[in-house]
Amino acid sequence: MTDLQLSEEDIDAYLGVLESGWLTMGPRTRAFEETFAERFGVRHAVAVSSCTAALHLALRAVGIDEGDEVLVPAMTFVAGPAAVRHCGARPVMVEPIGPGDLNLDPDDAARLVGPRTRAILATHWLGYACDLEALEELCSEHGLILIEDCAQSITARDSAGRFTGTVGAAGCFSFFSKKQLAVGEGGMILTDDDAIADTAASLRSHAMTSMTWDRHRGHAETYDIVDIGFNFRIDEPRAALGLTRLRRLDADIAHRRSLVRRYRERLRDVSGVSIPWGDEDVERGSHFGFAILLDDEPTRARLVRELDADGIQTTHYPSLTALTDYRDHPSRPRTEELAGRHLLLPLASNYSERDVDLVATEVKRIMATSAAPAG
Amino acid sequence: MGAIETSPERFIPVFDLEVTREDLDAVAETLRSGWLTMGPRTIAFETEFARSLDCSYAVAVSSCTAALHLAYLAAGVGPGDEVIVPSYTMAATAAAALYAGATPVFADIVGVDQPVIDVAHVEALIGPRTRAVVAMHFGGYAAAVDELADLCAARGISLLEDAAHSPMATLGGRHLGTFGLAGAFSFFSNKVLAAGEGGLLATDDARVAAFARSRRSHAMTRGSWDRHEGASEDYDVPGLGFNYRIDEPRAALLLSRLRRLENDVARRRVLTSRYRRLLQDIPGLIVPFTDEMVATSSCYVMPVMLAEPSRQSALRIALREQHQIQTSLFYPAVHEFTAYRARYPGVSLPKTELAARSEVTLPLYSHMTEDDQDRVVAALAEEL
Repeated sequence: MTDLQLSEEDIDAYLGVLESGWLTMGPRTRAFEETFAERFGVRHAVAVSSCTAALHLALRAVGIDEGDEVLVPAMTFVAGPAAVRHCGARPVMVEPIGPGDLNLDPDDAARLVGPRTRAILATHWLGYACDLEALEELCSEHGLILIEDCAQSITARDSAGRFTGTVGAAGCFSFFSKKQLAVGEGGMILTDDDAIADTAASLRSHAMTSMTWDRHRGHAETYDIVDIGFNFRIDEPRAALGLTRLRRLDADIAHRRSLVRRYRERLRDVSGVSIPWGDEDVERGSHFGFAILLDDEPTRARLVRELDADGIQTTHYPSLTALTDYRDHPSRPRTEELAGRHLLLPLASNYSERDVDLVATEVKRIMATSAAPAG
Repeated sequence: MGAIETSPERFIPVFDLEVTREDLDAVAETLRSGWLTMGPRTIAFETEFARSLDCSYAVAVSSCTAALHLAYLAAGVGPGDEVIVPSYTMAATAAAALYAGATPVFADIVGVDQPVIDVAHVEALIGPRTRAVVAMHFGGYAAAVDELADLCAARGISLLEDAAHSPMATLGGRHLGTFGLAGAFSFFSNKVLAAGEGGLLATDDARVAAFARSRRSHAMTRGSWDRHEGASEDYDVPGLGFNYRIDEPRAALLLSRLRRLENDVARRRVLTSRYRRLLQDIPGLIVPFTDEMVATSSCYVMPVMLAEPSRQSALRIALREQHQIQTSLFYPAVHEFTAYRARYPGVSLPKTELAARSEVTLPLYSHMTEDDQDRVVAALAEEL
């Protein structure tokens, strides 16, 4: 559904590292982290193996542990709640605001705060910022820690103009193949907090007091292990790729944004199709995906089927509460309803306006053909 | 001669990675394809690796730590259980037991001349909570997994293998990593088969393979590649998973390098035998394992043990500063690390502790020259 186009510069960067023969985290990882931190005006960036790893380490670094509860959106990818569970804590599902804004609802979050609630994991879904001001207020009122899941929202800004991932205690980013900044598998933790950065950097490599690179440089004879850490390391080829792709990120996102504007214009008046978020949100968003809402689940199923027959691949997310492993969580009716009737249309940096027109025309055509009357 | 002798000697690293044109082409082709998420190259690598081990299933993951974690979970290891592990290993062997909520119970090694897990000590440590035993093939030399397999079968517990060091190594003609329920391999940069970061779980058990495949990607019932290939977008998540995925560029690199692995390991064996010959006359050195074992080892590292452990640190510094030779230390004992001492105080493993204090890892890599080897041996002879 999304295709990644790497430039010759990207390929040279990756191959150059392989030729150097040094693949373990070292100078390129450092450069990627420093450039990333600077790009967002934040003190620390810690590169890791995935956004799941970033979330796990960020939650661990702020002290999330067994018995704790963390508020997560019910409308998100499973990595967020999984990371909460990797810390031994329990995710508590929060409803989205509604059809106009699919991000988690601060009012519903406020209702779910209990004695064990320690943190809010705010996912900026599809590249649209959550209401961070409301969440900050909620956090300060109840003494909660705000962690931002920016897997889909790199460079997106909130209504106050702040980059997502720079507002909470830590922001977690994904460099998975389908993401705006893609290296295959990879992630990053962004934080102004020295202690969070230190803990994350330590735990990503087994809490060893010196790394291979330091020992290669003769800086350490041996090492201690001071905590139970993980192998959540990225490697140099991926860091080099992230670094070269970072240079084109703004242009890629501007292109995605222009495609989203075009989708919205083309689909604005199509009966039975509504489009979440407003024009201002589009300008602040970073456009991992483009969502529309249909009237109901059967309509979506028909649209998916007919688009698929045209060779147009779409996707949608299940409500977390619909997943077998989350069955013991209470139903979230607003989420389940929106999960059943949303649809993500194709969107990628290498798509053209013509591709968008083609998809929009097909959606329009299919929606104009009424479904066979039921019964 | 004078000019050459006074010029600073070239630095000899403890390991070195040689990437060939073929490797680069394989990766370049993958990057140009625009498909980086696990897909056809990962499947091809898994198929070839399983074939090279003569085992049924191979599941590529993000690291050997990830492979160990999945192996423990697949063996049913959970809270309240004990897992018997060596302490003379990389800490991941023990850490992965803690991820699963279990307690690592440390077993000693046979001795400094045979620094692999001691079967008799394992047997003594097996108790009512023991769920699994993990053997680690230090340096690529076989632990007694044949005996451990019998012991574990008799006690109704699982044998798992930390095969991080030992692709291409065998015991009695059978590949290491295929004796137990699952074997965990590492493709970290300094390994015999290296891709930066990466790992793999090998198993003959269809259920274990399916479990590892599911849990490495958040237990999603369909992956990106399936959906790219036209499977439905709907998926379920029936369990707690992780992001333990590898990606296509690394799989392509591994597949390309796997074709040379047999030759690389053969070269390592030649160099190791040569080291053993040259080192045998240096007093104060114990070279672990036997000459016979070299032929079936992957010869991942070249460990030597000092008869006088007090010289370990000084020798390593002298080799680096006087001779421009890098060494390493495989390994400090896991039970002596701060994090483990705090959790499990009072563990005493005399042979492991002696090995950890005596060991110096000499430079070894498949393209190492005999001249460089001679320099290492001469430097050791001089310093000892």
